[in-house]
Amino acid sequence: MTDVHADADVDRAHSVEAVSDLATRISENVEQVIVGHHDAIEDIIVTLFARGHLLLEDVPGVGKTMLARAIATSIEGSFERIQFTPDLLPSDVTGVNVFNQQTSEFEFRKGPVFGNVVLGDEINRAPPKTQAALLEVMEELQVTIDGVTRRVPDPFTVIATQNDVEPDRTYDLPLAELDRFMKKIHLGYPNEAEETELLGRVSGHHPIESLGPVATSADVRAARETILGVTVSEPVRRYVSRLAADTRERAHLGVSPRGSIALIRAAQARAALDARDYVVPDDVQREVRSVWAHRIRTTTGEDGIDVVERALEYVPVE
Amino acid sequence: MSTESTTRQSSAPEAARHTVAGVDANVLALASTLVLVGTFLFVLYDVTNVVGRRDQFLLVAGGALVLATVVGVMLRPRVALLLTIALVGGGFAAYFLSLPTSQLALLSPTRLLADSVALLSGLSVLRLLSADVWALAVTPAPTFLAWYLAVRGRIAPAVAVAGGGLGLFVLTGDANGPLTLVGVGAGMAAIGFDSIGRYGHDGGQLDVLVVVLAAMVVLSATVTVLPGAGGSPIIPNSGVAEQPTVEASLVSASDSISVVGSISLSPEVRFEVESTSPSYWQTASFDRYTGTGWVRTGDSEPYTGGRLEGPEGPSRLVRQTVSPATPLDAMPGAWRPVAVSGNISSETLVTQQGNIRPARTIGTDENFTVTSAVPQYTPASLRRTGTDYPDDIRERYLALPDSTSDRVRERAAEITADAETPYDKAVAVEEWLEANKEYSLQVSRPDGDIAESFLFEMDAGYCTYYASTMVVLLRSEGVPARFVTGYTTGERVGDDRYVVRGLDSHAWVEVYFEDTGWVRFDPTPAGPRIDAETSTLTDARDEGLEGVDTNETAAAAAETNESDTETPTPTETANETETANGTNATPQSGLAPGLEERIGGTPGAGDESAADEGDGLLPELPSRETLFVGFAALVGIAAGVRRTRIPTQVRWATVALYQRRTDSPTDDVFRAYDRLELVLERDYRPRRPGETVRHYLAALSRVGVDERTRRVADIYEQARYGHGVTRAEADEVMAVADRAVRSRLPVVRRWAD
Repeated sequence: MTDVHADADVDRAHSVEAVSDLATRISENVEQVIVGHHDAIEDIIVTLFARGHLLLEDVPGVGKTMLARAIATSIEGSFERIQFTPDLLPSDVTGVNVFNQQTSEFEFRKGPVFGNVVLGDEINRAPPKTQAALLEVMEELQVTIDGVTRRVPDPFTVIATQNDVEPDRTYDLPLAELDRFMKKIHLGYPNEAEETELLGRVSGHHPIESLGPVATSADVRAARETILGVTVSEPVRRYVSRLAADTRERAHLGVSPRGSIALIRAAQARAALDARDYVVPDDVQREVRSVWAHRIRTTTGEDGIDVVERALEYVPVE
Repeated sequence: MSTESTTRQSSAPEAARHTVAGVDANVLALASTLVLVGTFLFVLYDVTNVVGRRDQFLLVAGGALVLATVVGVMLRPRVALLLTIALVGGGFAAYFLSLPTSQLALLSPTRLLADSVALLSGLSVLRLLSADVWALAVTPAPTFLAWYLAVRGRIAPAVAVAGGGLGLFVLTGDANGPLTLVGVGAGMAAIGFDSIGRYGHDGGQLDVLVVVLAAMVVLSATVTVLPGAGGSPIIPNSGVAEQPTVEASLVSASDSISVVGSISLSPEVRFEVESTSPSYWQTASFDRYTGTGWVRTGDSEPYTGGRLEGPEGPSRLVRQTVSPATPLDAMPGAWRPVAVSGNISSETLVTQQGNIRPARTIGTDENFTVTSAVPQYTPASLRRTGTDYPDDIRERYLALPDSTSDRVRERAAEITADAETPYDKAVAVEEWLEANKEYSLQVSRPDGDIAESFLFEMDAGYCTYYASTMVVLLRSEGVPARFVTGYTTGERVGDDRYVVRGLDSHAWVEVYFEDTGWVRFDPTPAGPRIDAETSTLTDARDEGLEGVDTNETAAAAAETNESDTETPTPTETANETETANGTNATPQSGLAPGLEERIGGTPGAGDESAADEGDGLLPELPSRETLFVGFAALVGIAAGVRRTRIPTQVRWATVALYQRRTDSPTDDVFRAYDRLELVLERDYRPRRPGETVRHYLAALSRVGVDERTRRVADIYEQARYGHGVTRAEADEVMAVADRAVRSRLPVVRRWAD
């Protein structure tokens, strides 16, 4: 399998067809180890291609780690996992300078944040300061320790999970930080057929062990470049801003411009996955729920998703 | 983001405020409620304007509104309710305390109940004895409560309260059609805006509201619930045939008279009267002048037989036997009736003005006899009387509306400058009117005060105008006077026998003299009136109308042929001299016996607007009312059309059928897509607002739309969101659209495939 992508050259990555092809390869590869969750895999690929980060809100044990690892493996990238706990320190995330007695120098020991795909597990269990350390990296794409700045690898995508079953032992992410996640999705439980299939697969060796890469980090970087060039026409931009205005009208806290930008990016990536070099309103509609719902607060106990759904229903498509 | 505005109303289900045309719907609801309260208050304002205490009323009404506004912000509903109850109780206590003791003695629970029922079944508030105090008493409570509720945002109960108040006046007949319409429309609008304020108008509620309001305006303006009832459509059916008759406007009137515009004469014979002495046959008299008409105040008592009170001075008994030729609603007789005999006597009512009237319609076979004590007087005796009038005469017969203008009073003073006694004043006014105004049945009803308009703006009018104006002038000079209706003497057909027709109906004036009682004056110029009546009768005879003649009058007419259509009635002279004793003051010319004023279709004297525009002689521009109603209808239709499929059909006809190729492939694609969407909209369903083209076409292709529509979606997306389309692609889409359209045209369909 390794050689499938070996001749993937820069030229191919410059067309949306190449992006679409790349995404197909990655998702087919990942689906070898993950049963079901096709949409979630696509969501992760969109996030990865749109330079975003993903928040998974799920119960433990539905395959979040496996999914993140499979993605990382598929793009021949490094995978890191951080288990957030109440006593986790910021330096446990970013890394620390330690004194090397042999060289009598401080040398930097990289934290787990230096990976292409970083899984931050149960991020809401850690105190805000530690959460902030990760979120800062997500925004800045670099780590500064003792005055030295180090860039994280490119591509860099964080997949964070939130535990929502034990709310009394968690530190909820502040809204401003939630805003930094491009998308928030749920995996949910597999259905009966999927679970049966899943159990069959893991009865022997776990297939993740034999999973190989189908792309390189360079492919992903090229895809990211291509996606930046996907056209967003004025009707589409107007549609997005009307949707945003509608959420602001109907909710206590609507979608910020940062949210609108994230939506455009995600829609661009979605268009490219569809091998289209322009965004259509369908791309926006496809992305808007997972991109916006977690950014909206109401005073009435409604979920953000209800506000988004209503905006979708009432805001006319040009 | 809108933190502060949303936290403030966090209890509301939605943070967003709904607006109509940029105005907050809640504000509109409040404004509409205020209009409704305003209509309620306007009726009371009218009442107080007529009966006095207008300024106090304005104070009370304004005070109630201000109080409600203040209290609305501060007090809870329970306290406000107690306050309302206190206002109701206080108001009515004040009313009962103000009634004269004689009236108070009559009060009993049954009487109160009867009075309430009478009010609700059309007894005008103006007929209440202390209508002024009554108005002040009922004003505060509903005004306060309605506005309090509105300020608290409880629009529906507020509308119920204010609407109930207005509804009371609709039942009493004091709220006229247009005012009621405004009130009901405002109430409706308040409710509508309120629900829009609560729930928004996404579902087209605004259209529905507009349709309902327009329907209310148009229906109430054009439909009368009861055929021939007094209810007045705002738009009169124009045309001569629809003019009311003088008789209908005067004699049939029960408790009130509204002055109308053009009027006609009915030549039909009404009754024959056999009397020892000719006279004007009076049927009713009215004491309260409203500016637009006349009202009889107070309740009628049943006639219990025996002799009624006669005039204050010397009198002579006259017996009159009346044989109705058509059913009668009145009991004509000379002033002042003191006894009645015949079938109807047990169902006779005596008004507080001293008139008699039947409690039911008198059939043609029911003769009856009225005995009258006719006052005897001479000009000299009248000149000698003083001006020390009894209190009840002063209260009733000197009152004028507060709105009576100074120039009326000045003109009255001018006319009577040389007159010293009340009698001389009455003569002066009568002569002045006869000399300065022309007689005409074709007038358009003035907008404001009848007397003032007749004095200053109109050159001509008929008896109602003359008599009303004379009463107003005399009252402003301190001479008690009243407005009287009935019939003139009629055509003499034998010794002591007179045939009276509809066109003999008439209005005149009575002036009160101390020690004599009521004395008749007739300010209407007799000559022109008789001419009009005569020509009507002649015409009617020429046309061969039935019921115009009795045997005797026909014979007389045949004898006297042309010259005498107006059957000379020597009786009249006799009649005049007798009552007025030589005063030239009442030149009751011989009333053309026989002419009755024909007034066509609308019976109901209360029908004030029916004749408004009824000139009928010239083609006229539509009246303002008509234009308004037409406008309302148009707006309503437009809103209604928006709720139907008609706009789609129109677009179909104008847009879908044909498309010309342009230079811009992109535009061609848009146009072709629009056409295709119209077709699909007709055949399947319209595209929902939030639905994308791709989703729409994909959804329809699942239910059987041609697969090619998918291709259309692609090309359309390219044109709108992508990098444009080629000519070939545009042609492809146009071809699909053409085909879709043609296959749905009934004629073309069979060639298309």
